[in-house]
Amino acid sequence: MIKGYAGRVLEVDLATRSFTFKPLDEDIARLYLGGKGYGTRLLYDMTEPGIDPLGPENPLIFATGPLNGSLAPQSNRFAVVCKSPLTGGIGSAACGGSFAYGLKKAGIDILVFRNQSSTPLRLEINGDQDTVDFLDASELWGKGTNATQKALGKGRNHAVIGPAGENLVLYAGIVSDERIAGRTGVGAVMGSKRLKAISVTGTRKLEMEDENKFKDYTKWLRQHFRDHPVLGEKLRRYGTMGIVNTTHARNMIPTHNFKFGHHDDAMNVSGEYLEDHGLVGVKSSCIHCPVACGRDVTLEGVGRIKGPEYETAALLGTNLDIPDLKWVNEWNHLADDLGMDSISLGATLGFAMELKERGMLQSCLTFGESSGVSDMIRDIAHRRGLGSDLADGVKRMSEKYGGKTFAMHVKGLELSAYDPRGSFAQGVEYATTNRGGCHVQGASMYFESTGPLTINPQNLKLKAEIPVVQQNLACAINSMVLCIFTTYGLMPKAVHQMNPNGLLHRTITLLFENSGPFYRLISGLKIMPLLWFEKWLTYITGEKFTSGRLQEIGERIFNLERMYNLREGLTGKDDTLPDRILHESTFPHLQSGHPLDQLLPRYYQIRGWDEYGVPLPRTLARLQVRL
Amino acid sequence: MSITVDLTYDLAKALGFRRFEIEAPATLQDVLRLTRARFEGEDAAFEKLTRVTGFVVNGVLISHARGMDTPLKDKDRVSFLKAAAGG
Repeated sequence: MIKGYAGRVLEVDLATRSFTFKPLDEDIARLYLGGKGYGTRLLYDMTEPGIDPLGPENPLIFATGPLNGSLAPQSNRFAVVCKSPLTGGIGSAACGGSFAYGLKKAGIDILVFRNQSSTPLRLEINGDQDTVDFLDASELWGKGTNATQKALGKGRNHAVIGPAGENLVLYAGIVSDERIAGRTGVGAVMGSKRLKAISVTGTRKLEMEDENKFKDYTKWLRQHFRDHPVLGEKLRRYGTMGIVNTTHARNMIPTHNFKFGHHDDAMNVSGEYLEDHGLVGVKSSCIHCPVACGRDVTLEGVGRIKGPEYETAALLGTNLDIPDLKWVNEWNHLADDLGMDSISLGATLGFAMELKERGMLQSCLTFGESSGVSDMIRDIAHRRGLGSDLADGVKRMSEKYGGKTFAMHVKGLELSAYDPRGSFAQGVEYATTNRGGCHVQGASMYFESTGPLTINPQNLKLKAEIPVVQQNLACAINSMVLCIFTTYGLMPKAVHQMNPNGLLHRTITLLFENSGPFYRLISGLKIMPLLWFEKWLTYITGEKFTSGRLQEIGERIFNLERMYNLREGLTGKDDTLPDRILHESTFPHLQSGHPLDQLLPRYYQIRGWDEYGVPLPRTLARLQVRL
Repeated sequence: MSITVDLTYDLAKALGFRRFEIEAPATLQDVLRLTRARFEGEDAAFEKLTRVTGFVVNGVLISHARGMDTPLKDKDRVSFLKAAAGG
């Protein structure tokens, strides 16, 4: 067995309440690493086209990778893969917390759930004794994710759903500790299986090829992250909400259902505001993470709770015209406890508010007014009244009530909080990412709008190249499985100290902006490990990893996801952006929105796809993507 | 002519306000000069607060326009900016 892997896949049949430990497929591990990549390969192979995402045929796959359990910074994440009930295509989400660590300690790389239980269940997996106990979860059914985890107790690592998952809210998530695998409705799939909770325990040790080198390098890198201006200072001090200043200034913070990119009071939901008003309790992190981007806040009547992330602050704050941390904190807490994705939730509430504003929907929801929102969030989780419609997300809401031109989703997945009219590469990434309109499948905006060295985000240069490289890298990162924030460490400290208005800064960004094919060539070099990702993998597995090999693995995963989507009926026509983004300008100097039609053909060409967005046979052959 | 200026948080805390209006500035150099005039501390302290700060006019980073000579017009929105990362 390749080092870094536990070497085991645990398959659980929830209908027969039986389980089997199987050996990990080393060929798949070499081609797809683990995490999202391995999970996608399994999903493709295990399922027939056209299955019901909420039916028994849809497997629910929890997948770790070779870096999980290694104590590498930002490495305690797991991926969840299934067919998405929200998009009908590939469903995938990643989550921090401690569950990935627990799985690895239990000697499990991949955990697959087949079929459905007829009654609420919870599972206890003991990796040392190789046992799986199927336990009645009737008493937990209906409880929030906090109460559920509390009832399950400490000493084991848990992944649970809340009422939203139980009631098949199409953007329900799976929670581990205070983190959530939020996107694409993976919690609804877990709910459809009546699987309330999974608890794992074990004491197995991860074997590495060269533990000393790994430890020495990790020690250095941990310090690099601590000293880094973004990872060690900004994120550690302000959390992810520290980016509000940037997105607000650059006209990219969703406001009034993405009608605007700027809100006068946006800074009231910023990390700085949080810090300045004494709302921060303690900074919190996934285990072994030196960044600690999470922070607790105090909520009246509840006590200390997990504070919101940027996405939540924007989509439940400015997007609803309610940039008030008191409410954002409450709604974030509700979303977490009920177990649903706050991005999709905020976008759906914003859409419903615009429907109401236009006289297309009768509801209590109004832009700028907090009354009724808390109750609506509870109604969504329990599918009560109008809440049941909102539980189906923006796309289905627009099919029922109209308003497709301002329905802010891609492929059915609600857009994240970076308005792509101010970040053209991010727009291409939203349009083409296989799971839909999400930002953490590449985070292209870092190179054009939010990072320390940003190219002009509103011309066509490099806007097709960046998403390709970033999506590939993100696929690999989500298969190791690492946090995407590790990529923020790529820009050295010196870059952060440059004057953004100076000649040197301008020269470098101009060179980068015009690098085109050279940029792709450098990214694909298979000479040596350039970054920590490849070094870690080499030290752990003993196999030689280079930046180019990592890009190739990511590209393979991305293409397999693409083939899965094509098989399930999503085509190049779905590689688009909401009409509002394409046609309405939020910048005085631009007549229209995002120029996707000018960028998509080049993106397809770089990908080795035909004009309809279908991977060419030679592309699949080069990448060894078996169909 | 009136320009709205949004400050970074640290600068806003030092100045005591987050946003202010400036009448008739011609360029960003004027904005910087008029902001400095509102700051009661030493030059070095102001320089520290603004050293690695970009400027954005109506959402566009000025290095993608005409730099510090970017002309301003009535009702423009100028923001001080620092790099960040979120998620």
